[in-house]
Amino acid sequence: MIRLAFHNLFQNKIRFIISVGGVALAMTLILSLDAVFTGVERQITAYIDNSGADIFVSQKSVRNMHMTTSSMSRSVITDVEEIPGIEKVTPILYLTNMVVSGKERNLAYIIGLPENAPMGGPWKLFEGRSYPRTGETIIDRNIAQKSKIGIGDDVEILGRKFKVVGLSEETTNLVNSVAFISISDFIKLWGNSNSISYLLIKINPEKSSSDIAAQIEANVKNVTAQVTADFSSQERRVVKDMSTEVITMMNFIGFLIGLAVMALTVYTSTLAHRSEYGVLKALGAHNKHLYQTVISYSLLSVLIGLALGIMITFLLSIILTYLRLNLTLAISGVSLLKVSSASLVIAAISAILPIKQIAGLDPAMVFRGK
Amino acid sequence: MFLAHRNLIQNKTRLLLSVGGVSLAIMLILLLNGFLAGMNRQITSYIDNSTGSLIIAQKGVDNLLGATSLLSVNALEDVKKVNGVNDVVPILSQFVIFDLRGKKLPAYLIGYDPNQGGGPWKIREGREPMTDTEMVFDDVLAKRNDLQIGDKFEILGQDFTIVGLSENTTSWMTSFFFIRISAAKKLLRNPGAISFLLITPEKNIETGNLLKNLNRISGINAITKNEIADNDIRLFAKVFSAPIKLMVFISFLVGTMIVGLIIYTATVERQREYGVLKAIGAANQILYKVVITQAFVTSLIGALLSILLAFSVGNWIMAIRPQFLILFDPLDVLWAILAGVGMALFAAFIPTRVLAKLAPAEVFQK
Repeated sequence: MIRLAFHNLFQNKIRFIISVGGVALAMTLILSLDAVFTGVERQITAYIDNSGADIFVSQKSVRNMHMTTSSMSRSVITDVEEIPGIEKVTPILYLTNMVVSGKERNLAYIIGLPENAPMGGPWKLFEGRSYPRTGETIIDRNIAQKSKIGIGDDVEILGRKFKVVGLSEETTNLVNSVAFISISDFIKLWGNSNSISYLLIKINPEKSSSDIAAQIEANVKNVTAQVTADFSSQERRVVKDMSTEVITMMNFIGFLIGLAVMALTVYTSTLAHRSEYGVLKALGAHNKHLYQTVISYSLLSVLIGLALGIMITFLLSIILTYLRLNLTLAISGVSLLKVSSASLVIAAISAILPIKQIAGLDPAMVFRGK
Repeated sequence: MFLAHRNLIQNKTRLLLSVGGVSLAIMLILLLNGFLAGMNRQITSYIDNSTGSLIIAQKGVDNLLGATSLLSVNALEDVKKVNGVNDVVPILSQFVIFDLRGKKLPAYLIGYDPNQGGGPWKIREGREPMTDTEMVFDDVLAKRNDLQIGDKFEILGQDFTIVGLSENTTSWMTSFFFIRISAAKKLLRNPGAISFLLITPEKNIETGNLLKNLNRISGINAITKNEIADNDIRLFAKVFSAPIKLMVFISFLVGTMIVGLIIYTATVERQREYGVLKAIGAANQILYKVVITQAFVTSLIGALLSILLAFSVGNWIMAIRPQFLILFDPLDVLWAILAGVGMALFAAFIPTRVLAKLAPAEVFQK
């Protein structure tokens, strides 16, 4: 019966292309959408993950960087430095602004860095210098390429001109990039010399980051201290929580599309092979054998469609890396599990109507040509 | 035409499946377009409903929601002096992330002066903030999190009391909430900070000239509200619009495939009948008409049904998830019907090729 299903599936090429193609499209849709957001989740924490800090200190209740602001009094720096076990403290200023070059405008995290900062600067340099002095900036290499500028050219940040002295790598994502300027320039443009945004902390390697983070919160007023891994995880949750509902909705639509195509192809295939099933029934085949054929047909189409969908998404993810679109498709295990389960459900539901059709099939009718 | 009609209604399950398939595909297109339109409306809701027709941002900043804008302390006075400016309303705004019921939710803080404007445009319940520890919260967000007037809510480590609930200030991406500008300055630890100025020009003033004069002031960027709204939409669309448009395209493709498959199966099944018709002198054109009519009628019924379905499903989604706004533009509905017709034409292509290749003699040999 499985051979019969296999034969039925490949007999009519158009029907085969439509059923497998439809499922592949639906699965690609679910997979690629998941992959886009998983990619954004990974990219968005690049600055935090590569900052070199063990602990991030922010304004009380601020547990993120993306789409938020943190402002603490500069006195916090000395308060934190007094805590035993802390080796280095780097204050940074941060806000989201535009890197403007001619008509090209790109959203960026603007990081104000102290001179010779041991943490918080660009972690991978393509060209130039890794720390900015007054009037200088380090921008992302992709943004520079997009804006057709290089080392020595000017860009506008926070409404002021800066000379590009370095091009960093891995500092861009789908939404924004990272640009570094000196903290003194940042203060001038911000007009507030008494504030800092975050403290990046390096601790003695023999000490525990979480213990020191707890000590900071206990000893310094109005701050939140988080171990870098926790801070990074909070950041990923912003993307996840923001996109959950829209992804659920899109996944449901993808599921409906796959279901509609499969249900219809399995149904029309059963309809086309009605007389053969009638003959098999007349020859003594049990209903359950015929059901097996339909289910196998449905399962085979869905599995081929699923495999095709996964291949297309992988292919897309490879193509995107070469296109330098700031978009990374990251296919997660959870996502694969989800589409595989969805495929099985689609296969099972698609077989219901044809099974009912076969159950009601009278063998004598096919000999009468009905 | 009679043959097309008979072919269509002879197998009711098949007709139901094909009409259902088309209506599902077009319903998806309508819902996705409605979702995009709703998203755009929600993104620009503050710009659309706030006072004035021009906005002053920091130089280099050309959107409201994407970048942090910080104007110099002199900007307010400098702008007031420009000829043709009737009213200037300062606001201090910034995204913050709420942790609500274990979920991260970005919300956009607007610090404003209730005497000048720039605050919530519709208060469903309560009043505007009168002190620096009061706030107006979005009513949908409040309902979803069991918050009500009188409740305390912590923002950036400071407690605020909810004194008003605003309407039309929500979206699934972000909601707006409002505090006094003096409270926002304290919260952001920046006493002189102003993010944007909302400008109402004097009557009969030419906008282009006024913008030119305003942009002479150093460190500012004066643009129209429409421009800033477009920029915000473009920024958010970068993330969400592409996947949605891709889904619209796939829905169209699937709808076409569904109609195509149905008409193809029906044509192949009746190959003998069509062969007989050819043998007795029917021209290919007549047979094409039969196939195209079947595809066209199926798609049209599907398209009309999809409009009803889309309205019902859209209202249902908005009822259970009020943060989603789904707007149906009459133009989108027209496009849906055209998409249905387009699907029919594409779908009829393969069956007509089957008919074209059909040799009348073959049917008598079988």
